[in-house]
Amino acid sequence: MSTEPIKVTINAREFEVPKGARLIDVCRDKGFDIPSFCYYADLALQASCRMCLVRIDKMPKLQTSCTIICTDGMVVSTQSDEIEKAQRSMLEFLLANHPLDCPVCDRGGECELQEMTFDWGNLEERFTEQKNYKPERFLSPIGANDPQRCILCKRCTRVCDEWMGEDAIEAGGRGAHTVIGTYGGWLDCSQCGNCIEVCPTGTLLDATYRHQARPWELEQTISTCTYCSDGCQSSLGSRAGEVMRVVARDRYVNGINGEFLCIKGRFGHPFVNHEKRLRTPMIRYQKGGKLIPATWDDAIRHVAQRLDAIDAEHGSNSIGVVGSPRITNEANFVLRKFATELVGTENYTATDAFSLRPFFDNLAGQLATHRDIRYASTIVLIGGEPEELQPLTGKQIRQAVRNGGAKLIVINAVPIRLLEQAAQFIHIAPGAEDAAVLAIGGDEDDRIARKLGVEEAALQTLRQTLSEAQGDLIFMFGGELSAEAQIVMAQLPQTLAAEGRRVLLHPLPLYNNSVGAHDMGMMNGATDAGQMLAACGQDVRAIYIAGSFLTEHLHLQPDALSKLDFLVVQELFETATTAFADVVFPAASFAEIDGTFTNNDGLVQRVRQSIPPVNQSKSDWMITAQLAAELGVDFGFQLSSSAVFSAIAAEVPAYSGLRYPLLKDETRPIQVKHAIADRRDLTEALGTIRERVGAMPDAGEKILDSPEVGHELFKIGTLTDKVPQFHLLAAGNPRPDTVSISPLYQITVDASLRLEGVLSD
Amino acid sequence: MSAQPINIQPRSQPVDIGREVASFSPEIEAEIDRHLAKYPVTRSAILPLMFIVQRERGYLDPPGVAYLAKRLSLRITDIWEVATFYSMLHTEPVGKHHIQICKTLSCKIMGEPKITEHVCSKLGIKPGETTADGKFTVSLVECLGSCGTAPMFQIGFDYYEDLTTAKVDRILDSLT
Amino acid sequence: MFIGAIGCEPLQLRRVLLENSRTLDVYRQNGGYEALRTVLTSMSPDDVINEVKKSALRGRGGAGFPTGMKWSFVPKDSPKAKYVVCNADESEPGTFKDRYLLERDPHLLIEGMLIAAYALGAKLNYIYTRGEYRYLIDIMDEALKEARAGGFLGANILGTEFSSEVYTHTGAGAYICGEETALLSSLEGMRGHPRMKPPFPAISGLYACPTVVNNVETLTAVPDIIKMGGEAYQKLGTEKSGGTKLWSVSGHVNRPGVYELPMGYDDMEKFIMEDCQGIRDGKKLKAVIPGGSSVYIMSAEDIIGKDVRMDYEGIVAAGSMVGSGGFIVMDETVDVFESTKNLTEFYKHESCGWCTPCREGTDWLVKVFKRVANGGGRPEDAQLLLDLCDNIEGKSFCPLGDAAAWPIQSAIKRFPEDFRKHLTGSVV
Ligand SMILES: Cc1cc2nc3c(=O)[nH]c(=O)nc-3n(C[C@H](O)[C@H](O)[C@H](O)COP(=O)(O)O)c2cc1C
Ligand code: SF4
Ligand code: FES
Repeated sequence: MSTEPIKVTINAREFEVPKGARLIDVCRDKGFDIPSFCYYADLALQASCRMCLVRIDKMPKLQTSCTIICTDGMVVSTQSDEIEKAQRSMLEFLLANHPLDCPVCDRGGECELQEMTFDWGNLEERFTEQKNYKPERFLSPIGANDPQRCILCKRCTRVCDEWMGEDAIEAGGRGAHTVIGTYGGWLDCSQCGNCIEVCPTGTLLDATYRHQARPWELEQTISTCTYCSDGCQSSLGSRAGEVMRVVARDRYVNGINGEFLCIKGRFGHPFVNHEKRLRTPMIRYQKGGKLIPATWDDAIRHVAQRLDAIDAEHGSNSIGVVGSPRITNEANFVLRKFATELVGTENYTATDAFSLRPFFDNLAGQLATHRDIRYASTIVLIGGEPEELQPLTGKQIRQAVRNGGAKLIVINAVPIRLLEQAAQFIHIAPGAEDAAVLAIGGDEDDRIARKLGVEEAALQTLRQTLSEAQGDLIFMFGGELSAEAQIVMAQLPQTLAAEGRRVLLHPLPLYNNSVGAHDMGMMNGATDAGQMLAACGQDVRAIYIAGSFLTEHLHLQPDALSKLDFLVVQELFETATTAFADVVFPAASFAEIDGTFTNNDGLVQRVRQSIPPVNQSKSDWMITAQLAAELGVDFGFQLSSSAVFSAIAAEVPAYSGLRYPLLKDETRPIQVKHAIADRRDLTEALGTIRERVGAMPDAGEKILDSPEVGHELFKIGTLTDKVPQFHLLAAGNPRPDTVSISPLYQITVDASLRLEGVLSD
Repeated sequence: MSAQPINIQPRSQPVDIGREVASFSPEIEAEIDRHLAKYPVTRSAILPLMFIVQRERGYLDPPGVAYLAKRLSLRITDIWEVATFYSMLHTEPVGKHHIQICKTLSCKIMGEPKITEHVCSKLGIKPGETTADGKFTVSLVECLGSCGTAPMFQIGFDYYEDLTTAKVDRILDSLT
Repeated sequence: MFIGAIGCEPLQLRRVLLENSRTLDVYRQNGGYEALRTVLTSMSPDDVINEVKKSALRGRGGAGFPTGMKWSFVPKDSPKAKYVVCNADESEPGTFKDRYLLERDPHLLIEGMLIAAYALGAKLNYIYTRGEYRYLIDIMDEALKEARAGGFLGANILGTEFSSEVYTHTGAGAYICGEETALLSSLEGMRGHPRMKPPFPAISGLYACPTVVNNVETLTAVPDIIKMGGEAYQKLGTEKSGGTKLWSVSGHVNRPGVYELPMGYDDMEKFIMEDCQGIRDGKKLKAVIPGGSSVYIMSAEDIIGKDVRMDYEGIVAAGSMVGSGGFIVMDETVDVFESTKNLTEFYKHESCGWCTPCREGTDWLVKVFKRVANGGGRPEDAQLLLDLCDNIEGKSFCPLGDAAAWPIQSAIKRFPEDFRKHLTGSVV
């Protein structure tokens, strides 16, 4: 969009606006109220609600301001009897068949139609005829639907198509009989609930929250999602110490994700107040014995004594300290201090699926923010599956291609769904990601094509695209890459630097604070999670862990933890790790604490306390600090998270100068300043990769079928296990024998559908 | 956890999108290919193909819809949204002989009510209904472009114009 | 039913009464495909467009937009494919002329389309026919097959460089698909929703390529324009409305049918009373809807002794529109409240549901009409109807909304008695 200014006159006042500006945006920006339902920024134009009518000189009829691009000298009026009559009559039409059941409608109190009616509605209702009847029904375990309330703005169908690329919900029928729905009436999709979110009325409703509360009873707390590394901003609605729902509605928050959330972010919260949350600290007085409830003082004292003893007997390195990519920067930071400054052990790490340390140690450019992704010109995605693992990134990529005309190149062993948007799909052999990195790094060696199992021509096209790319060229990669490959990626901003473009990087770690855990130095220990488990009972005699080990690590060494002399676990729930614990501390969840997460953009965002700690739980870092105090070291944070964050700002260069007040506004998130490494000599890294690739057999069988929608999203983990709907979905989203409902019913979870918890969270 | 589940009471019998996909004879497949060949964009063939499936299966039944989605590589919802928009496409079964009486102005003033009355009493059903033996469905439809030869109705795709009750008798009796 | 020309030599209806008029042979024996030969061998695309401009031919689909001008909007230099789409959706109540052209002179349409295709550089063209006209699609397919075999269609037409294909496409029962942008959505396999204009089809139409959508009657006029020259064709009619026009006459006349009249034919009263042989059973004329259901209804007083010239300007002057030429005649037995209710039900049924005023407005209007018809009328209902119409008119996404409002507005204005009767007759 060119920005040379032009002049438009609105209500007899002249304004300078950028060329190509949309009239409705301009009017609103200049403070003139324009009602609308169907207009939604960055979605396909609809111009169907006809609410946004204005009068433009020299045009025969009233015009929909949502479809008008300002031209120089345009004269507009947004207020007149004619316009007001038109707008009031549109609203009257919309209300004609709309049941006036606001008192029993979940949206009552936060309904755009209701609000609009206050401003533009008529006093008396002229419609005295029979209203058209359409029955209420369930669309899925998370979606309820009252078609009668629908005003057909089609935001839902557009977000489903344009954001999610799923097109699962559509308009059927014609004229006054048009209904939003699906064939057969059951919604098979990733259940993101964005259709529910953007619905301006009570037509699409959160079935898990249905009739649970009224919006005005809820205390809204803006916070950061605790699931994936995208770090969506959301609003926790709580009542009397209970989290009732999570929404992203931008009238509350307008963070990097606007109104977008995925199923986990929106529906994954019931674990917070779940009855299985740990209630008190617990001590197992002898191996094989039971965990017995204890007071905080006893438990802390007990741990302090045992750690002291083990330290005295086996030395400080025998004590392993393990943080987590799921907990706050504050928690990881204090743990790392505990490990390095108090215990003085080299054996500390965080339980992440993979470490980004090699990447960050060699980072030669900026991280791409989600906004950068939306407006990128070229995106290269190596491995990963954002639409399942980092859904917001997936949506940004899709919109970059569909609304922004960006070029997407997918390099993957699996035909992931994002292919639909890809300009080029390089379908490589499983495990050949490193070879692809060589190709991007510039290797022309024809063996690479063989190892990848693709035509040499495909790689030429790739190199061609890269050399021609202008604007923002963004590289994304998942956990498949080796350490050396990460180094090569990290250096691309140097390697591919050229006039007229920025080369940006966007790693795809799995967890809400993977980047933060790294930044807090938690990944700098001498051992990683796997090695730590391997060392159990030999070099490592005791482990103090916040959170739990990942299934993938434990599966490899099932009895490792049993070899320890002493295991201390901070957790929300009993897990495969607490099963071996000698002491368990009940930790507070993200909804109960203050702190920060750092997402895959490098944006550090606030976690805010929505409810008081559940049961006797405490914030992770406070537990660690209390333990430190018991061991004779006072970190001096009192009970203030912001004091911890100040310490982070003081000790972690990338965070220097930051304070909570600076993070107040989620619409202006701050990107931490990761150190930019200068040009590195890549011969060694490339050499290693070449060797490894050379040793690989030529590509054989490829993975042909695309993964099922939700195969990652619906996975049952420690947290999602506590949400009945996830069990239904993981069991294949079976359709109940009826979808029609009375307002009173809630969706059932048949116990037989509960999968035995595959703990991946 | 707050939302304590209660059972959903069965009410109506919902449509079940079975996994079954319709299949057609080579001749029909060839006919379908001929239509697909007419367009640079496959989706354009959706209406012609729907008519074929409807002709072969009586209406757009779930296996037929599944077939269309597969053949046109579209989502099931894409088929649904289109099928429900057009009044000649049926997602519910209709009678063997679909009598579509034009009720719009010219026919109306030229005697449609008498014809409708006659057809309905003869078949013992109301407009919108199907005879018990599933042989006849009567619908009142909008202008069929026979205003000059009103009143008229269309049975299947055949036009019957300048109708009189006597003529209606002959026509209906001739239908097996 | 009558079919033929009055007040001029039959032009478009020249062949319709001949034996086997739909076959290639009969078509050729009567000068068929000569215009196409002339065009391909001796005219440039611009020559063709200029002739059509000179002919003052205006779109016969309803909008009456000058055809030559429409063609000239298509960007010559655009690298995109171009399409000619024939609008044979003919669903406007009271209109059935296209049907007889397709049924009896299919090659005339093919020739017209090919000339248009040549003028616009289109290689692929479609005839979008309403689904109910299945038998006409079969006839067209047969004719297209003949034409292909005869070298008049497909590759190197008449041995020239010019290649172009024409295919039939079927609608499936939706009046709105007659609206050109909805037609294109439908032809692309979508729901038949209209699209935003601009961009107009001439710039971005079918598959987002430059596209000209023309009515059957418009395209079938083109071969004669080429043969006799634009000027001569224009002179058949008036200065602003060139040539002849087909009128589909239905209702209470003694001789309904398809009448070809020169534009500017004098006058409507004579046409009804003499050419259509007057009103049935010696009844009195009450009302006429001259241009298909979407235009203002005229009362006998607007016609009798008013010397209404039958062309675009003349009928507008008399308070209605040519529209599609669907000429519905009603005698004194008709209750205009009932006839208006009937048309309103039509528009409600055909509203695509995209935009608020049309979707909800037509639904509301019908409910009011039904209540009144069932004796629940209230004196204020006339005002309510008018106000609802006012809230729809000019605010809907496409002209269907307006089309729903106009009949009601004009009916209440011109036949207040028929409404008052129902409204005050009520016990409310
Ligand atoms: C609601 C509506 C229905 C229409 N139906 C038809 C139709 O059935 N046939 C037709 O030729 N044009 C119809 N039109 C007009 C078309 O939009 C378009 O103007 C016409 O096809 C252009 O061709 P022409 O310039 O040759 O008239 C309709 C317009 C509207 C708004
Ligand atoms: S006016 Fe609106 S609802 Fe009516 S047909 Fe046009 S777009 Fe559809
Ligand atoms: S916002 Fe412009 S028409 Fe809906």
